[in-house]
Amino acid sequence: VVAFRDVTQSKADEREIRLLTDELEERVIERTAQLRVANQELESFSYSVSHDLRAPLRHIAGFSKMLAEEYGAGLAPGAQHYLDRIQAGTQKMGLLIDELLNLARVGRHSLNRQSARLNPIIADLITILEPDMRGREVKWAVADLPGVECDPVLVRQIFQNLMANALKFTRSRTETVIEICATQKQEDGQPVFTVRDNGIGFNMKYVDKLFGVFQRLHRAEDFEGTGIGLATVQRIVQKHGGEVWAEGEEDKGAAFHFTLGAGKNREAKSDGAKAGG
Amino acid sequence: MMNTPELDILLVEDNQDDMDLALHALQRGQIANRIFVVRDGEEALDFLFCRGKYAERSFDHPPKLVLLDLKLPKVDGMEVLKQLKADDRTKTIPIVILTSSKEERDLVAGYNLGANSFIQKPVDFDQFRETVKQVGLYWLVINQPPVIDDRKRLAGASHGDK
Repeated sequence: VVAFRDVTQSKADEREIRLLTDELEERVIERTAQLRVANQELESFSYSVSHDLRAPLRHIAGFSKMLAEEYGAGLAPGAQHYLDRIQAGTQKMGLLIDELLNLARVGRHSLNRQSARLNPIIADLITILEPDMRGREVKWAVADLPGVECDPVLVRQIFQNLMANALKFTRSRTETVIEICATQKQEDGQPVFTVRDNGIGFNMKYVDKLFGVFQRLHRAEDFEGTGIGLATVQRIVQKHGGEVWAEGEEDKGAAFHFTLGAGKNREAKSDGAKAGG
Repeated sequence: MMNTPELDILLVEDNQDDMDLALHALQRGQIANRIFVVRDGEEALDFLFCRGKYAERSFDHPPKLVLLDLKLPKVDGMEVLKQLKADDRTKTIPIVILTSSKEERDLVAGYNLGANSFIQKPVDFDQFRETVKQVGLYWLVINQPPVIDDRKRLAGASHGDK
């Protein structure tokens, strides 16, 4: 009888557990569906930003240009200047929209980790950045970087943004030196990648603002830019479960360091932990 | 070539501003003289399938190039593209998607449906004009389209000798 009762009890427990599991699974499905809807909304939002905002901007750029060309001769001197300012404004806004979309795209790009060599990516980027080096003396000191498990498409974007920044903020230097190297993190031996320049640097008291969207530490007249580049870098690093940080001193250059997480095993954990940013 | 009402470009564009800018760019580029504009997807299909108010048109005189916007009233650009590329009578007409968007899914969908090119309209007007000029130059001057008889033969799917 006792044995019989025990079986009933354990059967009841089993049923209970199955019920709870089913309930939990149902909840997961429900939440996933909600997340999917939210994601789709975000996607369609960035789609309309791309399509709907760019169109009227093109019209402003186009018609102001036509106005300048066809009726410029009859305009008072100041009017032509205002037209130029309109043109400059539309170009800036076009860049902003494109970079915001790029940032959004990084968000929904699924991480495609694979072993990658970084030196070829950097060599390629140096070629691409050549127009920005014209008429300047730029020395790239690129160390032999260790192979790493990462999404090469996204990591390329990290280096592109950091290298373009380094070039931009060294413009006043007679000789520009940009160093790209890797060291090992003490705690876990992870590679830390560094892009260091001898440019105008920044005051460490503003270091927290560096990675925020639209945050800029310099006047637009001195250095062009949208304030989205470093936010994109941070987003990509976080996606990898890594960290990014910066060091700088005014007029003494800046250094940007980042890690890319520890590969497949630890990815899930670190992804969640760093998501708050 | 032939003494027929030949058309260089069919511009499918619903937005008046975009239409004016594109026409300006095409005329400035001095490549296309005969441009016809339709203002939504349905009208584009009627025009190219020679039906409705375009019933008197003939399949023998297709435009040399269709510039197709994606966001269109009634029938959207992708659907227009799909129908044109699915029909033997229209599938050889070059179709260039000219749009504000460069969304990956549009790109993939467009090429999968057989678009001949996909071009994002640049915000900068000089670049836009240059782009339109290059597109016109390529499709109207450099590219060699099939002549009508061959087009029919292709459509008939019988590959006899010429």
